[in-house]
Amino acid sequence: MRIGNGTKLDALCGEYMLGTLRGAARRRFERALHEEPRVALQLRYWQALFAPRYSKMIELQPSPQGWKRLERELRLARYRAPWHSRAGFWRAWAAAATAMLALGVGFQLLRPAPEVAPLLEIAQLTGKVDVSRVTAKLSRDGRTLELRAARAVLAGPAQSYELWLLPAEGGAPVSLAVLGSLDARFALPPGQVGRLRTGAKLAVSVEPAGGSPTGAPTGAVILVGEITA
Amino acid sequence: MLDDKEVRRLLLRTAAMDEGSAEAFERLYRTCAPLLLGVAQRVVGRRELAEEVLHDGFGAIWRTAGSFDPVAGQPVAWMVAIVRNRAIDVRSSHDVSRVDSYHDALEDDPDGALDRLFDWSQDAGDNEDRRRASKWLRDCLGKLKAVERQALVLAYEHGLSHGDLAAHLRKPLGTVKTWVRRGMVNLRECVEACMVGPR
Repeated sequence: MRIGNGTKLDALCGEYMLGTLRGAARRRFERALHEEPRVALQLRYWQALFAPRYSKMIELQPSPQGWKRLERELRLARYRAPWHSRAGFWRAWAAAATAMLALGVGFQLLRPAPEVAPLLEIAQLTGKVDVSRVTAKLSRDGRTLELRAARAVLAGPAQSYELWLLPAEGGAPVSLAVLGSLDARFALPPGQVGRLRTGAKLAVSVEPAGGSPTGAPTGAVILVGEITA
Repeated sequence: MLDDKEVRRLLLRTAAMDEGSAEAFERLYRTCAPLLLGVAQRVVGRRELAEEVLHDGFGAIWRTAGSFDPVAGQPVAWMVAIVRNRAIDVRSSHDVSRVDSYHDALEDDPDGALDRLFDWSQDAGDNEDRRRASKWLRDCLGKLKAVERQALVLAYEHGLSHGDLAAHLRKPLGTVKTWVRRGMVNLRECVEACMVGPR
């Protein structure tokens, strides 16, 4: 259909935009809008010209049911990201996991500690990003090492932490332990007893579950600290 | 103040119609629904009708987000147009008679409405074109004859038909139609003169 040209069309677009074009004339105009590109183009011109920004003063709070009804009627659930790819889900999961770990650590502290020889702090292990600080303590007899993380740090299901000794005299790192958590107490390998001396370093790397497949660190070194005792 | 860039991003994300579109659409709703409900309320005047208009409007926004042109269109203005059109249809099909309440508001301060209703401040977030267009529109509305300005602002704000305007302003229908027509022509000529002329 034709709805006029030039001035006539321009006037119709203006009045449609304004809202004074009503009834059958409005319907006719809307049909033309879908059928004739020049009508849409002319209307767009008017809309660009007359686009005042409404003041915040006119805002009204919609009823709380409004969104729920839209969500139901438009069946929006189909267009939601799956639960495991949502940032919010993982944030909530991390918060819950941290809380559970904190509880777990709390219970461990309540348990009576087994009688062991007194421990002496020998190193503070820190990372580039200060996610955690781990204190290393050695028993007086030099056979038992204890790690205590300032914040609970637990390896993922496919990962282990591996603790390495970087000898004072240089040479390849020596594996001391493969750990699931940086809160641990364990016996040092007999060959390493007496080597945790001032000048040597302790380091923690992230390795595949079960530890480095090569016997040397393969993953990122997340913590390192010099032995000072 | 609604951030056009953010609203545009949410609209495009909605238009993708894939996983995550619902989240973008929900954010779009949370961000823009209060303004759009205000726009609808101005036109239909009754809260329950305005909520219906908002509902239908967002349904249309969901269905037609793909036709929003991110290069040419102002995203908030695009949504306002959808909701206003719906509100005007609803107003036409319901017997919405609120002439008296307009009258009171109008007698108080015919020109004040223009500045209460719209925000003419130059927002730093706007691009230069948008800032200039807003200034030209305000200046040109100010230059119209008072009766023309009044007719245009009333019609735009409340979605009044020529008949509503005539009843409200207590003038013959022909007179009101002329004000609206001349007002639009003069407004357009003034803004176009601003576009080409020295600023």
